[in-house]
Amino acid sequence: MTTSRTAAVASRVLHQLARDRRFVVLVLVAPLGIVFFTKTLFDAAETPFFDVTPFAVPFGCFIVHFATFILTALVLVRERTAETMERMFINGYRRLEIITGYLIAYTTLATLVSILVLTELQLLFDLKYGPGRLASIFLVMWLLAVISMALGILVSNMARSEGQVIPFIPAIVLPSLIFSGVIEAVDRLPMWAQVISRFSPMFYANEVLQELIAGKSLGGDVASLVMLPAGAVVVLLAATQTLRESR
Amino acid sequence: MDSAVSLRGVEKRYGSITALADVNLEIAPGTVYGIVGPNGAGKTTLIRTLVGALAPDAGEARVLGLDPRRDQRRVRAQIGYMPQAPVLYEDLTAAENVAFFAKGHLLDGVREKVRRSLEFIDLVDRADHLVRTLSGGMRQRVSLAAALVHEPRVLLLDEPTAGVDPELRHSFWQRFRDLTAEGTTLLLSTHQMDEVVHCDRVAILRDGKVLTDESPDRLLTEGRAVVTVWVDDTPHRHEITDYPSALPGILAEWHLDPSVTRIEVDNENLEDVVLDLVAQEKDAPDDH
Repeated sequence: MTTSRTAAVASRVLHQLARDRRFVVLVLVAPLGIVFFTKTLFDAAETPFFDVTPFAVPFGCFIVHFATFILTALVLVRERTAETMERMFINGYRRLEIITGYLIAYTTLATLVSILVLTELQLLFDLKYGPGRLASIFLVMWLLAVISMALGILVSNMARSEGQVIPFIPAIVLPSLIFSGVIEAVDRLPMWAQVISRFSPMFYANEVLQELIAGKSLGGDVASLVMLPAGAVVVLLAATQTLRESR
Repeated sequence: MDSAVSLRGVEKRYGSITALADVNLEIAPGTVYGIVGPNGAGKTTLIRTLVGALAPDAGEARVLGLDPRRDQRRVRAQIGYMPQAPVLYEDLTAAENVAFFAKGHLLDGVREKVRRSLEFIDLVDRADHLVRTLSGGMRQRVSLAAALVHEPRVLLLDEPTAGVDPELRHSFWQRFRDLTAEGTTLLLSTHQMDEVVHCDRVAILRDGKVLTDESPDRLLTEGRAVVTVWVDDTPHRHEITDYPSALPGILAEWHLDPSVTRIEVDNENLEDVVLDLVAQEKDAPDDH
């Protein structure tokens, strides 16, 4: 792997993003819209017996997870259907360089999405979190975005067209939410569901987020926090091994 | 002299469809080698086998003495590949596209090499235009520039002149000749039979089989010709093949009779010869 080829891929993708303003605006605005809709839903559900605090931030994280996963999967599949992936390989680019380059470029976008979503959550839900806790939540959201992108890259290797990415949304993203512990505590789920939850990055993100929401520090659940970057590395290695140059 | 490209007994199947059947070719360095055939003949499969994108089911392919699959990186460092469609990033400029593919080869002085490539295909004035704003012909030229920016020893071009207007086709062939003059080997596919004449050697492919592997001059001799000898205003027709060899015999027959007033030779052009060959093979009973 060479840094210059990785940098060339990252720079190329960033150039393309900079020129596709409609796409970038959509990627940034759509999650904000969904957070707003979520706020409307919570407002309707709020009673003296229902506290939205344990749900708001994890839902915001889920939106980032969903957006970055779909986006990365679609972009990589498009690269393959347009045959530019094959041309990259033939011109010397290697698997790890392509994936790392993409990850660097899209991490920039994911960072922006995370900042915007967290700011909106703070404003809409009046979270009253100090800078330290906000920074910790941002780190969790950002790590979740990175592993989501890695998952998107892995899934893109299994799809031959943009259309084939669609079935992966209910197959991967929705169970990720259902079994994450955001809606219902995982230990109240059947054992098989608890096993599945351990393969969901949202589960680990939610575990850490609940500690932070409860006022503890990032050190409250180090094991879950470590699982996010560790999982990202594992998924990226799998994506690297399975990256195909053509359909 | 070692071949720049060689295929020995290469076969490739997609399920029940045979894309390449016992293909044997030897391509000398510094030549323009044309793969001619109708759509679906196996031209793209052959080229994709040589770039290492496809593995043959049988036989062996060699590019500069290397196996395109086993020595993939070494082969790809020395070849330039231009796909049939101009595979480019539409939201990058012409120069950015060429530079991106150049960087894959870790070249020094990328900017200068990109400029030279665009100069070579006469597109310097459009270097900073987004590819999506360029015409189809211009995109083909950018795609060619991206294939040759790293000065490859072997250029593999898949229908480089498809959908290109006659003027641009002429310009492409001039560029190809410039490249072979510098020692580059060109292997290109085309379904435009009239382009055969520009090649040093031609393989005619149909249903994955090589029907013939000849120089255009030699191919021409395989065509039919009608020699009409006018004797006292009476035409005497002779239908012959291989007219360069047969013609002296006919002339000897008439022995320069003073009553011969005119001799006309109406021979097939290369396009007719190629189409005849393809048609003959199609009509021939299948011996498999």
